[in-house]
Amino acid sequence: MAWQSPNGLVHAMHSIRRAAQLRPFLQRSVISASPISSPSTPAGLRQRMSARGYATELEPVAAAPINLAEFQAKPARIVPASAAYFSGSPKFIDHMLKLEALLARYASLPTVSPSEAPRMAWFKLLQFRDVVGEPVPTKKYKALVKLLQRLNRINPSVAPEEVRSALSLFLRPGNPYGIKPAPATVDEQGRARGKGKRKASSAVVHLVEGEGEVLVNGKTLNEVFPRLHDRESAVWPLRCTSRLDKYNVWATVQGGGVTGQAEAITLAVARALLVHEPGLKPILRKAGVITVDARRVERKKPGHVKARKMPTWVKR
Amino acid sequence: MVFILGVNFPERNIVKKSLESFFGIGNLTSTRLLARFHIHPTCKVGDLGNKQVLDITAALSDMKIENDLRRQYLDNIKRLKETGTYRGRRHALGLPVRGQRTRSQIKNAVKLNRMERRL
Amino acid sequence: MVSSFCWSCLTRLPSAPRAILPPTLTAQRVAAFHTSTALFSSPVKKKKGDVVPAKFRQAKSAKMKKKKPVERTRPPAVGERKALKKRIVLSNPNALEIEGMQDLSADNMVDARLRGSILGLPVPMLDQLRAVQAFKPKQGWSIFRRPGTVVRRETLELGRLIDGISGEGENKGRVVRKIVTGVRGSGKTVHLLQAMSMAFTKNWVVITVPEAQDLVIANTAYAPLSDENPNVYVQNDATAALLSRTVTANQNVLSSLSVSQAHPALKSAVKPGMTLEALAKLGIQDPAAAWNVFQALWTELTASSPAPGFEGTFKPRPPVLVTLDNLAHWMKESKYNSIDCKPIHAHDLVFVQHFLSLLKPNADKPTLPNGGLILYSTSASNSPTIYGVTVALQQLAARQAGVKPSSPEYPQADPFLNADNRVLAAFDSSKSTAPKEGSLELQTLGGLTREEAQGFMEYFARSGLLRENVTDAWVGEKWSLAGGGVIGELEKLGRRLRVVA
Repeated sequence: MAWQSPNGLVHAMHSIRRAAQLRPFLQRSVISASPISSPSTPAGLRQRMSARGYATELEPVAAAPINLAEFQAKPARIVPASAAYFSGSPKFIDHMLKLEALLARYASLPTVSPSEAPRMAWFKLLQFRDVVGEPVPTKKYKALVKLLQRLNRINPSVAPEEVRSALSLFLRPGNPYGIKPAPATVDEQGRARGKGKRKASSAVVHLVEGEGEVLVNGKTLNEVFPRLHDRESAVWPLRCTSRLDKYNVWATVQGGGVTGQAEAITLAVARALLVHEPGLKPILRKAGVITVDARRVERKKPGHVKARKMPTWVKR
Repeated sequence: MVFILGVNFPERNIVKKSLESFFGIGNLTSTRLLARFHIHPTCKVGDLGNKQVLDITAALSDMKIENDLRRQYLDNIKRLKETGTYRGRRHALGLPVRGQRTRSQIKNAVKLNRMERRL
Repeated sequence: MVSSFCWSCLTRLPSAPRAILPPTLTAQRVAAFHTSTALFSSPVKKKKGDVVPAKFRQAKSAKMKKKKPVERTRPPAVGERKALKKRIVLSNPNALEIEGMQDLSADNMVDARLRGSILGLPVPMLDQLRAVQAFKPKQGWSIFRRPGTVVRRETLELGRLIDGISGEGENKGRVVRKIVTGVRGSGKTVHLLQAMSMAFTKNWVVITVPEAQDLVIANTAYAPLSDENPNVYVQNDATAALLSRTVTANQNVLSSLSVSQAHPALKSAVKPGMTLEALAKLGIQDPAAAWNVFQALWTELTASSPAPGFEGTFKPRPPVLVTLDNLAHWMKESKYNSIDCKPIHAHDLVFVQHFLSLLKPNADKPTLPNGGLILYSTSASNSPTIYGVTVALQQLAARQAGVKPSSPEYPQADPFLNADNRVLAAFDSSKSTAPKEGSLELQTLGGLTREEAQGFMEYFARSGLLRENVTDAWVGEKWSLAGGGVIGELEKLGRRLRVVA
């Protein structure tokens, strides 16, 4: 917690400065309050002195009557703009209130499903704490993100500028989802490139239109995969779309064993095929060839015989 | 049946194996013998020519094998024992002779190293 | 369940055409993209003697079952197991007879229209082919009604070549020497078989070494050739076996030819007017003389005119086909030992020497004056890795492509890998001055074309082994799975699918 205190201090100074800027009327009242009608008093005094040049004794002047109403209007201490100033995390609560107000105002606008809403990278909790400089609890931040997501679901074509600018305050710098890889295209030689991984193997496939020749690492399919099963799985994306005699496959595959290599080629071929014919996606999805199998071998742990297996129990 | 050095071998036996049945002839010696008389390693005893049988017999009779070799073997051990060397003592005690550990696995020594050495 | 309608635009989503999904498999398929495992696994067997789980607190006895004394039967008779292993079945009475299948004959072996179809081997020729051991076990002859081979591009070329050599055209009497290579299962041995069957139809003399390995693994007797050159070895039994193969296969041709040269090495055994068959039989009866007899037979077969004194019965000699399988085994040291127990190089065996010398064109006089074909094949399944052979074949391919041996592109042996110079020299054939003498060529067998593959798969279907519509698309798929139409793989696919139906 040591880091919080200097930060908090800085923040305190900062917020004072901010408050001073935000509330000029307060400042003005402070300035005008200190010399109470000072310009008028000396002038009247001088006038009276010039009227009576020789007079030495001063006439006692009664104090002006105290205007109690004036005291009421100008409080003696600084009043914060937001009532949340006295809570533990005023800025956070301000944000929250602002978003809630926005939501209340625009709740009736049409929304889209969460999958279709533009993907936004909100602040992570720690980043947000840094930005506002307040110890925001996890649970409360979740509520804020929920609000943000709800606002983000407003149909982008009708979303008001106000909402958009409000949401942009909460984006991580350099929106990571904003960077989209360029869609893969067939290169000038008619090749589509696809990469695939499975187990410990990784494959790169170049797919060109042709008449069904398949070369893996420069060798024919039956030299690389003696087992028919592996050969079938390597060209399955082409087979299940009956494109086997329309494309030539040039694959380079490394790492892993025979099955892994064959199925890495499967994935790579399917991805390369999607570059040529994006319309095949539903079929390929159904055939299960563009689903990445992310399983890898679990590591062995100390104290275990294998990844999970424990040594047999011995009584002594 | 073919006589080689006074031993009768059935014709279906392999020459190499038959030679190795003599005490003192192992893989290396039998390979050399076969090479010397141009006999291929999978040759059967029945396929040997008369001359080859005579050649082999002559070569074997020049070599120190069987009882001659056994006798030499025993004489050597006896000499060690009589001169009272450490090795001779180990032979007599039925313990390993060549500095092996005796904590475990000395079965062969126990079995073989006797006063009356068997071969 | 995903609806097959797109509810936003009310159109039907495209779905996979039904036809491309493998039939009847959908229900039992396990993995998403394999047909094989689920298909070829045997139906789930019921376990014998279901193990009843032990009841509560019931002790499980750790009693070991006593081993039953194994009944000792007599081992099979000597040679029985080997005979079973080497048995070649050429006919399957359960397979369907194919109507309209032509037999190989002198006419149709050059017919380009038959490309992609199956030509049966004539039944009378089968004995000859068996005698030269042209069939190998595990080649799958036993699944068809009768043996037949695919006419592929290389087969037609071979047919034209053999036709030309024995015909009257410009190619008459040419000597062609080829080394056949290719990936595993690409049909090299069957290519040799086709050459033999064509040679038999043309009444050539066929001399074969069915397995080169047999001569160098030290399984047959050997002896120094003579006292003069003790470093060259003769294998009498193997030579006698070669003579016996040659005589059985070429009985008709050899019995019609008679001795026309003097053979001082055989002394009085050769009588004037003796047929070549009788001459060869001398060597079979007495293996000690087998090598001399073989040399005599070879001089007779390569004679172009009779020696003085033998003019009476001379008939022109037919062309000769020499085939050899698994050449690479002859390119290393054999398992034989010399007198000082050093391994003998295969090239020091006189038998091997003779057949390897045929690869080199003679400088002045043609190797086979009556013409002929020398066809040696390598093997991809049982072959030693010999660097010298690899380089020599590369050099051969380069020479064939027109690269001069002096040019920098010509592949050279890596000096650090110790390529055997004798091996390099064996393949290094210079151009001969004799006009009919061809230099050594390399023929690489690849896969079948799609049309040939289709003909081949139709052969399976028509034999009743394959219940599948042999369409273009289906053949194309199998063609790709077989690594670009490698015929051995296609055959496996054709066989496996038999189980499906």
